[in-house]
Amino acid sequence: MGISDSKSSTLLAPVAIWSQFDTLRAQVTLSGAVNVYSLASVWTDIREKQNLWLGQGNAQAHSLIFDASKVSSLDGAGFAFLIDVEQAQQKAGGQFQIQGLDSKYELLLHEFDPVSHLFPTATPKSKINFISSTGMAAQNLFEDARSLITFTGHLAADLVWSVRHVNQVRWGDFVNTAVQAGIAALPIVGLVSFLIGVILSFQAAIGMEQFGAVSFVGPLAALGIVREMGPLITAILLAGRSSAAFAAEIGTMTVNSEIDALVTGGLSPIRFLVVPRVLAGILVAPILTLFADIVSIFSSMLTMQIYGIPFINFYNGMLVAVDLEDILSGLLKATLFGVVVSAMGCLRGMQTGTGAAAVGVSATRAVVSSIVMIVLVDGIFAYISYRTGF
Amino acid sequence: MSDLDKAIDVQNLAVGYGSKVLLQNLNFSVKSGEIFVILGGSGCGKSSLLKNLFGLYQPLSGDVLIEGHNITTAQGAERQRIMTSFGVMYQQGALFGSMNLLDNVTLFMEEYTQLTRDQMNLLARCKLDLVGLLPYETYMPNEISGGMQKRAAIARAMALDPKILFLDEPSAGLDPITSADLDSTILDLSKNLGFTFVIVSHELASIYSIADKVIMLDKDAKGIIAEGDPKTLRDTSKDPRVHQFFNRIMSKDAA
Repeated sequence: MGISDSKSSTLLAPVAIWSQFDTLRAQVTLSGAVNVYSLASVWTDIREKQNLWLGQGNAQAHSLIFDASKVSSLDGAGFAFLIDVEQAQQKAGGQFQIQGLDSKYELLLHEFDPVSHLFPTATPKSKINFISSTGMAAQNLFEDARSLITFTGHLAADLVWSVRHVNQVRWGDFVNTAVQAGIAALPIVGLVSFLIGVILSFQAAIGMEQFGAVSFVGPLAALGIVREMGPLITAILLAGRSSAAFAAEIGTMTVNSEIDALVTGGLSPIRFLVVPRVLAGILVAPILTLFADIVSIFSSMLTMQIYGIPFINFYNGMLVAVDLEDILSGLLKATLFGVVVSAMGCLRGMQTGTGAAAVGVSATRAVVSSIVMIVLVDGIFAYISYRTGF
Repeated sequence: MSDLDKAIDVQNLAVGYGSKVLLQNLNFSVKSGEIFVILGGSGCGKSSLLKNLFGLYQPLSGDVLIEGHNITTAQGAERQRIMTSFGVMYQQGALFGSMNLLDNVTLFMEEYTQLTRDQMNLLARCKLDLVGLLPYETYMPNEISGGMQKRAAIARAMALDPKILFLDEPSAGLDPITSADLDSTILDLSKNLGFTFVIVSHELASIYSIADKVIMLDKDAKGIIAEGDPKTLRDTSKDPRVHQFFNRIMSKDAA
């Protein structure tokens, strides 16, 4: 049978016909090419008729003949149909007899003996109550915290090692990662920073205009950008781009047992994979932040032109409000964000389970964890700044 | 062999990537119901040829006719119709990791048939039973061994009862008993249901027990260097490359 006619057989005569002789005797007659396409239109119909028939009177006295003498070809779907009809008959306690089935098909039919095991009894899914699920969630949280602390310890030790063994650090990986996470991120960081600068200035100017204090918008925006917005925008973009990329890359390596190969080869995966990425994060995060600061301040300057604040006034105001300490404070925070974002990406990658879906889960977890950690670090940093004035 | 008997007809096929030609001037046909095995050393282009046969890769030149329909030129609905007329088992199984084994097998049924969920599940259980994986129907692919994944992939390839099955190294990585069981299933399906198998394999024991016909490819010759019954080739071939392969002679001894 060719390709086209095997699927158009539903248009031809039905391949299975139900005949009921009386309340106790019935027959299913198969004919022609019985396949997954030709059976679709009759399977349900015949089973419904069989159930209706078995429901009449004493089911155990019902005798069904399955006539396969006119079959020209029978495939897996045909066997499944036969088994379905037979099982329904056996379940009701009725009699079932196959007639005219070619011996070659009979041999294959025996492969499925006993057919009852093809009909597993549905077991109700065990429900987890609220207390158990809360306990499990808490346990997961503790385990996650423990693995984070362990990972931080290993990473700190290996970062110290990398300072003492500069020549043994995988600088090739470091450069590749720095290029991908840094230079390749410049356009998106530039675009987002520019827009944030514009939005920040506009929003501030609308409020300040009511008090006749538009001239203070520039210094205020500049201070906000260098201390907070610049590092934060950069870190969130790094989390979305690089942290997810690290998690996916290392996650795929985990799925392919490449991490196992490193361990069995006596190499530390953290030293080999994580250290170059974290060092790259430490390098690119402050550089990208500085770039974001400059673009944002420039866009803020442009925006304030609309409110009649010339460049020079904006600049002079900025010099009064922003000093070197503010810039360094922002860059230090950006460096910490760089460590956190790249480390979280690597950690989630190394925690990847098995299968393609697990890599996606790791990438998602990396982004979420990175953002949570960014906010956490930002909060701690804000407190330290408040206490120390830095 | 008449055209009607040919499940697959390969005409002047050249296989390769870009400007790199792996195989050329390939002409052979696979008879309906035949178990056809593609042999050859590593890197000779067996898997690439297989992917050209079932239309995953476009050949550099030539034609592949599946039951008379040219898969290399077919487009749109015709191509889809040809693609659903055969099943493929990939070397690594390529099961969908987010679905259990039963759902892996029913996926294509959902798309191409009008069967109800219960009917699809029963049909899928029959397929899993044939490859000995019925007890594992609710397992996810990552919860079973590599060999079991291969068997599940065969069950999935058989989902729509295609008349042609392409299997890329089905026996590799299986224990001898499972491998023999699989050979027996392949023989049953071929002899009793008339399935045509095109198999890439290295397993000589398996090849001797199931293959009706083999072709042997060679990297240097960039083509077929032997064709016929495997036992006859083993016993009578004068070609040293064929003799070495079938008799598992080490390269240094052959030289």
